[in-house]
Amino acid sequence: MPIRLVWKQLWRHKLRFLLTVASLSVAIFLLCILRSLVVTLDAGVRASTTHRLIVQSAVSLFVNLPEAYESKIRQVDGVDTCAKMQWFGGYYKEQANFFAQFAIDPESWLACYPEVEILEGSLKTFLTSRQHCLVGIRTAEKYGFQVGQTVPITGTIFPRVDQKPWEFVIAGIYRATSPNVDNANLLFHFDRLRETLLSKEATGPPGSGVFVVRCRPDSDPVQVMADIDALFAGGPQRVQATPEGEFQAQFVTMVGNVPFFVSSIGGGVLAAIVLAVLNTMLMYGREQTRDVGILKSLGFNDRIVFAVLLSQSMILCLAGGAIGIGLAVVTATPMQNLLGTAFPNYQVSEQVLGSAVLLTFGIGLFAGLMPALSASRLKVIDTLRRGI
Amino acid sequence: MPSMIHIDKVTRQYSRGGETLTVLDELDLDIEEGGFYALMGPSGSGKTTLLNLIGGLDQPDGGQVLVDGVDIHDLDGADLSAWRSENVGFVFQGFNLIPVLTARENVTLPLLLTPLSRRQRQQHALTALQLVGLSDRSEHRPDQLSGGQEQRVAIARAVVTDPKVILADEPTGDLDRQSADSVLDLLVRLNREMNKTIVMVTHDPLAAQHATQIVHMDKGKLGQIEARKTVEA
Repeated sequence: MPIRLVWKQLWRHKLRFLLTVASLSVAIFLLCILRSLVVTLDAGVRASTTHRLIVQSAVSLFVNLPEAYESKIRQVDGVDTCAKMQWFGGYYKEQANFFAQFAIDPESWLACYPEVEILEGSLKTFLTSRQHCLVGIRTAEKYGFQVGQTVPITGTIFPRVDQKPWEFVIAGIYRATSPNVDNANLLFHFDRLRETLLSKEATGPPGSGVFVVRCRPDSDPVQVMADIDALFAGGPQRVQATPEGEFQAQFVTMVGNVPFFVSSIGGGVLAAIVLAVLNTMLMYGREQTRDVGILKSLGFNDRIVFAVLLSQSMILCLAGGAIGIGLAVVTATPMQNLLGTAFPNYQVSEQVLGSAVLLTFGIGLFAGLMPALSASRLKVIDTLRRGI
Repeated sequence: MPSMIHIDKVTRQYSRGGETLTVLDELDLDIEEGGFYALMGPSGSGKTTLLNLIGGLDQPDGGQVLVDGVDIHDLDGADLSAWRSENVGFVFQGFNLIPVLTARENVTLPLLLTPLSRRQRQQHALTALQLVGLSDRSEHRPDQLSGGQEQRVAIARAVVTDPKVILADEPTGDLDRQSADSVLDLLVRLNREMNKTIVMVTHDPLAAQHATQIVHMDKGKLGQIEARKTVEA
């Protein structure tokens, strides 16, 4: 195949070539980002284990459960451990500096989440001191937090009466090996929250937002959930036990059908770029009608002519796709920082990159097929009517 | 001289606006190997159609076209393309060079279908350009050449695979007299020195004088065949 001809035909209209490649780059870059957002939303759900349950109020997630439920849940057959977990909802210095904070039962919560590992500092200090906290690696890196540093957090659900922020000393920095645990959280003692509320130093709802339950490996989580629900069916507050994955999925749906919305935008971008590239390739094909006739008169058969046109489409798309994919990879970390707590586990996965490569090939094939087929079917005498 | 091209009762018809036009009507013609034939006649007499049939660019509705003993219309698409690349060189009125390629690249194109190495292809292309006196213009694109030079590049491309037959359709139609003479002299040289069989369609009586035979056509039928003593190249 005349490779040089393929390239020179593309380069014949430099501006058109560059603009089409640029359009493709932007489209593939956007598609990578949009797909990554969907994958990120889904990652926590997929990484959840079926033997970890979340017990919440049957009325609403925003209704706290009595602390006393913890000991009752522990007695349900199949329950290994249970931990309180309360959303704190504060901010660091300014409201824009938001990351999730949770009041937890340190030992039992960490027993529920063995995928959490301490990178720096002392777990023992955290477990023994109610003034201390654990901070996720992403938040630590974002704000430059160090072990031993005091972090002021202003409570919104639990504001201090003296209007001052809560102060937590960083005992350690953690990282979770699974995406179902956010690496941006600040975790502190539930006992400290309770004591502060009881001493009237702060105000806020009593009780625990949810209980995290770890089932024994030999138990049937479905039966455990049914038993927990049944235990509190008569009140004082009914509960709903759900697998962790289902609980995570609630948050995704709470902000609307984000995956559908994001995928719809992606579909629109894809359709627009396919039509744009197809239009470009049809222009290239039309302009090369005479050249196709020349090639055929020289003895190039239909298959070679087909390959010449299709190759142009593939080169055009692969160039644009490669740049777009490269941009998505290079900007992954800045995007992660930009998206912040909205998509805490944002990453451009190999799966997303693989899809982008396949998509690029697909666009190239689709856009090149029609002009290539037309060219291969052209009759020499029609194309060279003005010559032979 | 043995026959290089044997045309036997060839008919070609076209349908236009529901009407059937007979462009070639049971035409017989033998073209000798090493001959230089000029096809002359008024517009619509079937000259170009005949050239297309000899080059395998068009299919007859009846009859046979044998080139060097091969009934070319028995060949299917890919085989016909391969046969064309090995046996026929075309020279077009409008030169038909590919505008994005240099003269050397245009001449190299037909060689891509041969088993020659890249280096051999370059050597052959430069030799062909030398033959037409344009080795110093090898890196020029068609838009950087004069009409006469473009046509000489086209001739270099036509002969670079060393085909037996060269088919030229009004090769001087778009050229001034001086350039036309230069191109015609080149065709005469190819005919005499390299024994190429040349079939040239022309309206120009002065161009036809360079041929060894002038075949007159009218309304799809053969007229007088005039044997000539050619002008000196």
